[in-house]
Amino acid sequence: MSDTAPRNPVGAPQMLADALLRSVAGTTALLRVTGTNTDTSQSEVGLVATTFADVVVAPVVMRKLRPSWKEGGESKYELLVSATSIEGQVNALDVGSAQALFSLTLAVTVDGKDYLIESIASNEAFGTPYLYRLLLRETGQQAI
Amino acid sequence: MQNAKDSFYLALRTRLTTINPERTILVRGALRPGILVEEAEGPLSQIPSDVFVLRWQGLGVDVDLDSTLVAEECEILYQTLGTQSFGGLDRGRMLSAMDEELLAMVQPFYTPKLNYSATPPATMLTQVFWDEPSFTPAVTMRDRLSRSAKVLVYSYQEQGE
Repeated sequence: MSDTAPRNPVGAPQMLADALLRSVAGTTALLRVTGTNTDTSQSEVGLVATTFADVVVAPVVMRKLRPSWKEGGESKYELLVSATSIEGQVNALDVGSAQALFSLTLAVTVDGKDYLIESIASNEAFGTPYLYRLLLRETGQQAI
Repeated sequence: MQNAKDSFYLALRTRLTTINPERTILVRGALRPGILVEEAEGPLSQIPSDVFVLRWQGLGVDVDLDSTLVAEECEILYQTLGTQSFGGLDRGRMLSAMDEELLAMVQPFYTPKLNYSATPPATMLTQVFWDEPSFTPAVTMRDRLSRSAKVLVYSYQEQGE
């Protein structure tokens, strides 16, 4: 939904968000994106290794959410991601939308550790996102 | 047992394309029939709506036979929110439609066992067979209506398996 207020959209909110992310030691995250697969029986039953690409997004800031300890529960984090960076990768990969990019993302790597995306939210100004907020949880996958 | 699991899934997938070709899902950039194996896809924080998700659970083995009989329990989960054009008011009808599709998909209760690690898939000597699905009561979670069905899938272990 776009903002119907009689104001022209400008890039200021995006630039401000990027500046704020950088000012609090913004870092880099890698989105592990699956390649588009050809629909074969083997790829549907986990027999064909999917091709992956690491997509770099920056600046990002990660923060641990308030711990609510639960037996066997993993820690949860919130990753604040620059919308400018996401937009750039959406255009570079030609995937149509940020939502499509996130749906192709299997894991997010920050500082060498992998996390799974639990949910995605965005903050918008003038109908355009200036920040994406990814709720992440630690993965327990083994490196092979 | 992996060959039986693969054969079961692909039998259901093939039948679904005939029963309701419009039930599809976009996975990793590919448009596929609306059925997937949970353990062969990326981790799901929530199962997708309007598709069937196969989750493999219990395992049993009977070795007191000429050939070892293996049984594995498959839970088929599905949920719907209804359609946007009906404001979700048709979610009951959508769930009923999925119930009927699932019942049609599992019949007949057998399929040839194939080895999908070979290209093209190699037909094996025995068949995979299963019993009737046992449906659980529908669960209402706000606007989400979900149900699951459990099927016991049997197969004989062949040489090399």
